[in-house]
Amino acid sequence: MRWLPAFLSAALVAAAASNSKKSSEERFSAFHAKSLSSTPVKLSDSSYRDLTKTPRDYTAAVLLTAMDTRFGCQLCREFQPEWDLLSRSWIKGDKSAKSRIVFSTLDFSDGRDTFMALGLQTAPVLFLFPPTVGDHAASSAEPLRYDFTAGPPSAEMVHAWVARHMPDRPHPPISRPINWIRWLTTIVAIAGSVTAGFVAWPIVLPIVQNRNVWAAISLIAILLFTSGHMFNHIRQVPYVAGDGKGGVTYFASGFQNQYGMETQVVAAMYGILSFAAISLAVKVPRIADPKSQSIAVIAWGGVLFIMYSFLLSVFRIKNAGYPFAIPPFM
Amino acid sequence: MSVDSLQTLANVGKGESTRTTLRVVILFLIAGAAIASRLFSVIRFESIIHEFDPWFNFRATKYLVANGFYNFWDWFDDRTWHPLGRVTGGTLYPGLMVTSGIIYHALRTLTIPVDIRNICVLLAPAFSGLTAFAAYLLTNEMTPSSSAGLLAAVFMGIAPGYISRSVAGSYDNEAIAIFLLVFTFYLWIKALKQGSMLWGALCALFYGYMVASWGGYAFITCLLPLHAFVLICMGRYSTRLYVAYTTWYALGTLASMQIPFVGFLPVKTSEHMPALGIFGFLQLLAFLDYVRSAIPKGQYQTFLWLFAGGTFGIGLAALVVATSAGIIAPWGGRFYSLWDTSYAKIHIPIIASVSEHQPTAWPAFFFDLNMLIWLLPAGVYLCFQQLADEHVFIVVYALFGSYFAGVMVRLMLTLTPVVCVAAAIAISNVLDTYLSAKSPKPEDRLSDEATDAAVKKAPKGGLKSTSKPFVGVYSIFSKGAVVGAMTIYLLLFVLHCTWVTSNAYSSPSVVLASRLADGSQHIIDDYREAYQWLRQNTRDDAKIMSWWDYGYQIGGMADRPTLVDNNTWNNTHIATVGKAMSSREEVSYPIMRQHEVDYVLVVFGGLLGYSGDDINKFLWMVRIAEGIWPEEVSERAFFTPRGEYRVDDEASDTMKNSLMYKMSYYNYNTLFPPGQAQDRVRGTRLPEVGPTLDVLDEAFTSENWIIRIYKVKDLDNVGRDHASASAFDRGIKKKKATKKRGPRVLRVD
Repeated sequence: MRWLPAFLSAALVAAAASNSKKSSEERFSAFHAKSLSSTPVKLSDSSYRDLTKTPRDYTAAVLLTAMDTRFGCQLCREFQPEWDLLSRSWIKGDKSAKSRIVFSTLDFSDGRDTFMALGLQTAPVLFLFPPTVGDHAASSAEPLRYDFTAGPPSAEMVHAWVARHMPDRPHPPISRPINWIRWLTTIVAIAGSVTAGFVAWPIVLPIVQNRNVWAAISLIAILLFTSGHMFNHIRQVPYVAGDGKGGVTYFASGFQNQYGMETQVVAAMYGILSFAAISLAVKVPRIADPKSQSIAVIAWGGVLFIMYSFLLSVFRIKNAGYPFAIPPFM
Repeated sequence: MSVDSLQTLANVGKGESTRTTLRVVILFLIAGAAIASRLFSVIRFESIIHEFDPWFNFRATKYLVANGFYNFWDWFDDRTWHPLGRVTGGTLYPGLMVTSGIIYHALRTLTIPVDIRNICVLLAPAFSGLTAFAAYLLTNEMTPSSSAGLLAAVFMGIAPGYISRSVAGSYDNEAIAIFLLVFTFYLWIKALKQGSMLWGALCALFYGYMVASWGGYAFITCLLPLHAFVLICMGRYSTRLYVAYTTWYALGTLASMQIPFVGFLPVKTSEHMPALGIFGFLQLLAFLDYVRSAIPKGQYQTFLWLFAGGTFGIGLAALVVATSAGIIAPWGGRFYSLWDTSYAKIHIPIIASVSEHQPTAWPAFFFDLNMLIWLLPAGVYLCFQQLADEHVFIVVYALFGSYFAGVMVRLMLTLTPVVCVAAAIAISNVLDTYLSAKSPKPEDRLSDEATDAAVKKAPKGGLKSTSKPFVGVYSIFSKGAVVGAMTIYLLLFVLHCTWVTSNAYSSPSVVLASRLADGSQHIIDDYREAYQWLRQNTRDDAKIMSWWDYGYQIGGMADRPTLVDNNTWNNTHIATVGKAMSSREEVSYPIMRQHEVDYVLVVFGGLLGYSGDDINKFLWMVRIAEGIWPEEVSERAFFTPRGEYRVDDEASDTMKNSLMYKMSYYNYNTLFPPGQAQDRVRGTRLPEVGPTLDVLDEAFTSENWIIRIYKVKDLDNVGRDHASASAFDRGIKKKKATKKRGPRVLRVD
């Protein structure tokens, strides 16, 4: 079967050659017919050349992607369903091809040469080839490139981008399919939790009304917020990072930086300090035995002192110029 | 005799009047400390207004003092936002300016001639003394311990979290707003505790003052209803709550609607809806309360369920309909970004671009609050001990305050009061226990044991840790150790606050300070040098284009019209400036001509290593411009193909051809030997050949090159475009120019 690939490529070249003689109109109707059956149209090197050849009287949107797991392109895989959705709902809303656009995808495994010719180092790349002749002809044949720097875009964002570059043509809206599973699970979950709540109410009520539980929840929330958890959440910081020598750094250098683990350590320190203060203020004076009371005072006072010293030393890592310290962590 | 004097010493502070005197003296000392610790910048530099926004407030105050209140109210400012102008009187919070105006006139009537600038500079420290007093009052409502209030006042007076916005010269809305915030909370607690209409009305009055002063009033507008809601959920509805809340809401809303900038927002926007909703809810509860007293219990249960369910359903439906019909506006952008934390970055780059709106990393909390930050949970826990209505307030405030402070750096300011109060409660609790001279005797314990068992079962629903009876501390050593350690922590806190204030928060940022090699201080005064140049060398109505950060300063110090300023009300106009800065000269020139720009001002820190310059802010200009003109400006094009933001040889062409890049680096390489030009902020070597400018002339460059001002050329008088005109000029003058002046050298002094 050695001859099969050779034969196939020869056939493709022949097909391309026959295609290349076609006019822009014919090419568009051929691609549009294909996209009616399955969109976005899957391209190969030759059909890519065919599609983007000038003169063209239609717009071609080409996504150059690398879906194979070998390339490990997370962005490609995240964007693919959105891209499929966009092209499907566009073609569905515009069966008669009034907007004159073809949505197509060229995978790296099918179009190695195209990637080489364009000098592409990264994927995905989304090109929009404007028409060069006809009513909507643009001044330049150069394709427009979508900016993927802000993470995987939603279908709506790309839709807005495409629509912006195709003024006075119809822009069929995106229709997301109804997610039945999600609806179903939500309804079942709500019904289930209502039932569970109804059944468990006598057990839950004392917990809800328990002051200790609320105190614990409040304190944990305050500790989380004041130790920079929201920063982690918004900036999506790494949990820990390497120090470049194979080791692990737990504390980010710099005042405006932090790691996930670091904030947990800080929250724990604050928690211990608070707990020591609470114990000294509330628990110790309620110990009836003088001896155990003295031991408790020394224990909690010592914990407080050492922890605070450690906290100050950690803070000096973050802010090198900080002058204050108490022993033992000087 | 010695016994006698000891006796008198011991008796001092026992009498009620002596205590009051002592308290007054201590409070005055605290106020003095609070004011003194804010004067670093006045002593080091001079009595000068700081930063950006204060310059506008200062300018507005001068206008108010010069033209009277009514003119101020109707002020249309044609010297900002050229050519649009700004209805300034209707778009600012007038509280701050009116306050200093009143102080100014009061001092004048007392025949004390004070410059209005000095009032503006010293207003924030003066109000910080009042804030300390308000914190004292608020804390005294929370705990019977008299030392807690004084501790809270000290903490409030010197906590860096509050000092950061209230040093002398930082003439901003927050200067008086934090006092009003704390005082309004105090009045609210007072009104709630007594169920008094008078205190409720006073609370509304100060709430109205707060609305007139700061946009952060929404914090009160949301916190008080939340407190009321939590109380209701805990089953603590009472007529006290009803009276306090309805009085505050009705009068406070009316008061807030008197401010033109606020107008009808309290009944329209979503951030005011919780207050309105709780107001309605309280009416329902009051009605139900009445019905319960009127009909039998069995019927009442059914009635309650039907009524509550029906009301909730109708209310929700009405809210949805009103929102979708556009009667109620959706959440304001700034407010919305507090909940959906990624909202700002996608939708409103202009908000995301402000450094104050970034989330807070943990060192910032510790830096601003030091040990108070870990005393906060302890104080909140102690509030759970009694958990009266006012303690619920502290718990709710602490939770929400810390959430908001975590999301946005600037809201550290609203967290600080509650941290001070809670920490004071915690510390005073410890000190009261361990400083008490009375020690229990171990013998007493035995007799107590019997009563113990009886007491044990009594407190129900309290905290687990307080189920045992309070005994006291036995040994002197324990007392000494704990009190000694606490003293060390408190002293460390004072040192920390002074250090932070002196090092981090006392720089006016208009004037920069640096140290020379011999340790002496060197003042870098480029901003004022440049603004003074503008004031003296340009026409009175010369329009200055700069990035919006410098708009207020140009208006205040140079007194020239600007295109955009820190008010940022018109995103499109800012984007226009951003586009002019980030486009090629041929694109920018028509924009500048259309806006009648005479001079362009850029801030460049490359020579000095001043990192807050325009090249570092440049990406925000690009992003904001891209938001309006996505086809013409693209952020991607300013990065190298490998995605780096560079200014050296490898910078992208778009970057090198942008007006901002050219203005920043124009002629910069002439300071250095050929090929040695260094940018000390980005730490890179610059291209050997510097950029050329065709449509602008260099007009002024300050001593350290921080400010560079360019004059926009007029149209060429023989009709050529500027590029060919300057190419022609260069062709003729090339030889002469090199002969006449050698390379410029860096001044070292």
